[in-house]
Amino acid sequence: MLVKNTFFALVVSSFSVSASVDKTDWTPTPQQFKYCTVCHGNQLMGNPNIGAPRLSGLSAWYIEKQLQAFKQGKRGMPDQSVPAHEMQSMVKELSDEQIHQAAIWASKTQSPVPSETIVADAKAGESLYKQCAACHGADGKGNQTIGAPALAGLHDWYLLNQFDAFKSGSRGNVQGDSQAQQMQAAANLVNSEQDLKAIVAYIQQLEKHEEHN
Amino acid sequence: MKQHFSRRQFLNLIGAVGGSSALLKASLAMGLMQSNDFQGPVSVAPVKGKNKAKVAVLGAGISGLSTAYELERAGYDVVIIEASFRAGGRNMTVRHGDKIDEMGHTRYCQFDQDENLYFNCGPARIPGHHKRLLHYCRALNVPLQIKANSNQLAYIQDEKINGGKPIRQVDYRADANGFLSEMMSKSIDKGAFEQQLSEEDTENFLSYLKAFGSLNEKGKYTGSDRAGSQRDRMLFPPTPKAPMPLHDVFKSDVWRGVSFASQIYDWVEPLMEVKGGMDGIVKGFLRNISSPVELNAQVRKIHNLSDGVEIAYEQAGKLNTIKVDYCFNNIPAYFMAGIENNLSPDYLNALNKFKRGHLFKIGFQMRERFWEKEGIYGGITYTSQDNAQLWYPSHDIHAAKGVMLGAYCWDEKQCARFEAMTPEQRFKYAAQCGENIHPGYSGYIENAVSIPWARMNNQMGCGIHMEKEDWEHCLPILQKPDGRHFMIGDQISQHSGWQEGALAASQQALSQFNQLQASITSSHGAAYVS
Ligand SMILES: Cc1cc2nc3c(=O)[nH]c(=O)nc-3n(C[C@H](O)[C@H](O)[C@H](O)COP(=O)(O)OP(=O)(O)OC[C@H]3O[C@@H](n4cnc5c(N)ncnc54)[C@H](O)[C@@H]3O)c2cc1C
Ligand code: HEC
Ligand code: HEC
Repeated sequence: MLVKNTFFALVVSSFSVSASVDKTDWTPTPQQFKYCTVCHGNQLMGNPNIGAPRLSGLSAWYIEKQLQAFKQGKRGMPDQSVPAHEMQSMVKELSDEQIHQAAIWASKTQSPVPSETIVADAKAGESLYKQCAACHGADGKGNQTIGAPALAGLHDWYLLNQFDAFKSGSRGNVQGDSQAQQMQAAANLVNSEQDLKAIVAYIQQLEKHEEHN
Repeated sequence: MKQHFSRRQFLNLIGAVGGSSALLKASLAMGLMQSNDFQGPVSVAPVKGKNKAKVAVLGAGISGLSTAYELERAGYDVVIIEASFRAGGRNMTVRHGDKIDEMGHTRYCQFDQDENLYFNCGPARIPGHHKRLLHYCRALNVPLQIKANSNQLAYIQDEKINGGKPIRQVDYRADANGFLSEMMSKSIDKGAFEQQLSEEDTENFLSYLKAFGSLNEKGKYTGSDRAGSQRDRMLFPPTPKAPMPLHDVFKSDVWRGVSFASQIYDWVEPLMEVKGGMDGIVKGFLRNISSPVELNAQVRKIHNLSDGVEIAYEQAGKLNTIKVDYCFNNIPAYFMAGIENNLSPDYLNALNKFKRGHLFKIGFQMRERFWEKEGIYGGITYTSQDNAQLWYPSHDIHAAKGVMLGAYCWDEKQCARFEAMTPEQRFKYAAQCGENIHPGYSGYIENAVSIPWARMNNQMGCGIHMEKEDWEHCLPILQKPDGRHFMIGDQISQHSGWQEGALAASQQALSQFNQLQASITSSHGAAYVS
C-alpha cells in the first residue's frame, strides 16, 4: 500500500507506462496489419463473435496459401459465408509481398489455446480421427508436404464450420488445387454430425495435452 | 374574491416564482410533460485527499469522451486510450483529404477544400428531446441549426408504382388522406358508428374528415390543390391533378414506411444538426478535455485486480501496461472476446451476446445543387431501390456545390450487397439508382465517399443488438461494474444507434461509480475503526 502511494505521488498527472517485461510471449503487430487484430483479436487469438479463427499456431506456408486463395477468389466469394467474404475483402488490395509478410508475422504470434464450446465424446473421436491423421498428423500438427494444416489449437466452432464448408463444396472446390480437392474428398469420410463433433472434441484435447506435458 | 386559474396559468405563475426547475417538477406532477429523468449530468463525487485516483477510459467515442470530461472535472486523473487514428468513434464527419478507414479498402475523401463540403458519415440529426446531448452542445459551445428531415416536395420512388417514376410525397399524402376520409365518411353514412356517435358528433366528425381529406361537397375525394396545381398557381385558378389509383397509394411499401416518419419520436420535427458537421461535438469535448488521448492505441488486455485494473495496449508496435484504479470501457462489446481479460463469466457471457448491426452510407459531391431547381430544399427522398434514401443538405442553400447523401441502408441485405463491393463499384451502383429518381444524376457527381459501418476499422457495426430474452437478462448485468470495470457506450442503453443512448450509458455508469466509491470509502473507514 505504501509502495503504491509513493508510486502514485511521484507520477502526479502522467500515467506510469511500463513496456511489457516478458517479451517472449508477445509479438508486435506490424503497423500495416493492425486491422488483422481487430477481427482476429490480440495476438490473433481469434474471436467467435466475428467468426474469425485463432491464427497463432498455424504455419506460415499454410497462412500464405490461404491468403492467396482469398485474394484470388478461391475462398470467401460473396455467395459463400458472410464471415468468409468479410475476410476475403481484407486481402483483395494486398500485394504478394504484403501477404508473405503477413503470413510470417501471423505464424509467430502466441496466444492461449481456446477452450471448448461444444460437448462431444472425445473418446469416440480418437478412433475416428485416425482417418484424418494420415494427412493432419497424429498430433494434429499438420503436414506441409501434403498441404494439410495444423488442426490442434483451432477453435472447435471453426473446425466444424470449415469442415462443413469443404463438404458443401463452398471451400476446396478449386480447379488445379489438388490438395484442397483431397480435403474436399476427405470431408466425405465423416457422415454424421455426431461423429464430426466427436472428432473435433478429440482435436481440441490434442493441444491441451501438449500444454500439460 | 375567488380566482380561477387554468392549469396553464398556474404553471406560468409558479414558473415566475420558483424558476424553471419548479415549473418542471410541477409540470411532471400534473402530467403535462413527458418524464425524462435528465436534470443535468451526474455530479461525480470529487476526488478526496492528495492521491488522485486514476481512471482509464477505453475508446474515445461520445460515451468515452463524455465520461472522461465528467471525471476530469471532478478531479480524477484520466487517460483515454483509442485504437483509431482519430477520436469520435461513430461520430465522424469527413472533409477534403480525410482518411476513410474501411478495413481492406482505405480511401481518402476527395471533396473540394471548402468548409461547406462535408459529409456526416454517422450521426446527422438531433431531436429536441435528446436532453443529454443538447446539454453538452450548450455546455461545450457547439452551434446547432435546424435540419429539415422530411420534405413534402421530395419524392417517393417505388419500382411497383407509376412505372417506377418518382412521385412527390405531397401527392401521396393528399391522395392517401383523401381516400381514407372518403371511406370513413361513407361508413359513417352507413351508420357504422351509430352506437358511439350522437347526431352532433357525427356531423362534427364528418366535417373533420372533409377537412382532413380535402373532400368535396358530396364527401368525395377527386384530387386536391393541397398537392399543388397542374398550371401556374399564381396566374391560373388551381387545377388539381387527378388522384393516383387508390390501389397504388396503399400498395407502396416505401410510402407506407415513411408516411409517419415524422411521428417517430426520435424524428419529431424540427430536428437539429451541428453547424459545420456533427463532429463539432467531438471537437467540443476535445477542446474541453485536457487529459491525454492516446491515439493508435489498441487495447489488448484488461485485468481486474483487487484494488484496480491493469490495462495493456499496443501502440506503434509496443505493448504498454498501465495500472489504474478504475476503468470505463467504450469498446464495442463484440470485440471483447478478442481482448485478453479476466472479467467474470456472467459478465463476459452477457458481452458475447451482442450482435453486430449494419448501416451503410454514401456521400456524393455534386457539381451543382440540381435538387434545388426541383424545389427540394433539404429533406429525404425514399426509394425501393438498394440506395434506399437520398438526403438533400439543409445547410448552405444556393451554394455552388453540395454534398448529398446518395445511399443510406438499414436493411441487412441491402447493406450486404454494398459491403461486398469495392468503393468504386458502390459509387457506380448508387449513381445508377439515383438516375431513376433524378435523370442526369450521375453527370453531377464529382467524387464520393462510402461508409459501410460493419467494415469500418475498430467499429465493425452500428445498431448493436441482442435477442430480446438475452437483453432482459444481460442488460442489468452490464449496467453494473464488474470489479472496477464499467461498461459504457450506446450498447449499454435501450437506445443503441443514438448519441443520447451513449450519453445515458455514461451517466448511468458514473452514478454506479459514485456508489462504488462511496462503498469503498466507507469500508476503509470501518477497517480503521476495528
Ligand atoms: C450511419 C449512422 C447514423 C447515425 N445517426 C445518428 C443520428 O442521427 N443521431 C444520433 O444521435 N446518433 C446517430 N447515430 C448513432 C451514434 O453515432 C452512436 O450512438 C454514438 O456515436 C455511439 O458512441 P459510443 O461512444 O457509444 O460508441 P463508438 O462511437 O462506437 O465508440 C467506440 C470507440 O471505441 C474504439 N475502440 C474499438 N476497439 C478498441 C480497442 N481495442 N481499444 C481502444 N479503443 C477501441 C473505437 O475506435 C471507437 O472510437 C448514428 C450512427 C450511424 C453509424
Ligand atoms: C473483417 C474481419 C477480419 C479481418 C480484418 C481479418 N480477418 Fe482473417 N478471417 C476473418 C474471418 C471471419 C475468417 C474465417 C473465414 C471463413 O470462415 O472461411 C478469417 C480467416 C483467416 C485465415 C484462414 C485461417 C485458416 O485457418 O484457414 C487467415 C490466414 C486469415 N484470416 C488471416 C488474416 C490476416 C493476415 C489479416 C490481416 C491482413 C486478417 N485475416 C484480417 C476475418 C478477418
Ligand atoms: C488427404 C489428406 C487429408 C485428409 C485425409 C484430411 N484432410 Fe483436412 N485438410 C487437408 C488439406 C490439404 C487441407 C488444406 C486445404 C486448403 O489448402 O484449403 C485441409 C484442411 C482442413 C481443415 C481446415 C482447417 C483450417 O485451418 O481452415 C479442416 C477443419 C480439416 N482439414 C479437417 C479434417 C478432418 C476432420 C479430417 C478427417 C475426417 C481431415 N481433415 C482429413 C488434407 C486432408
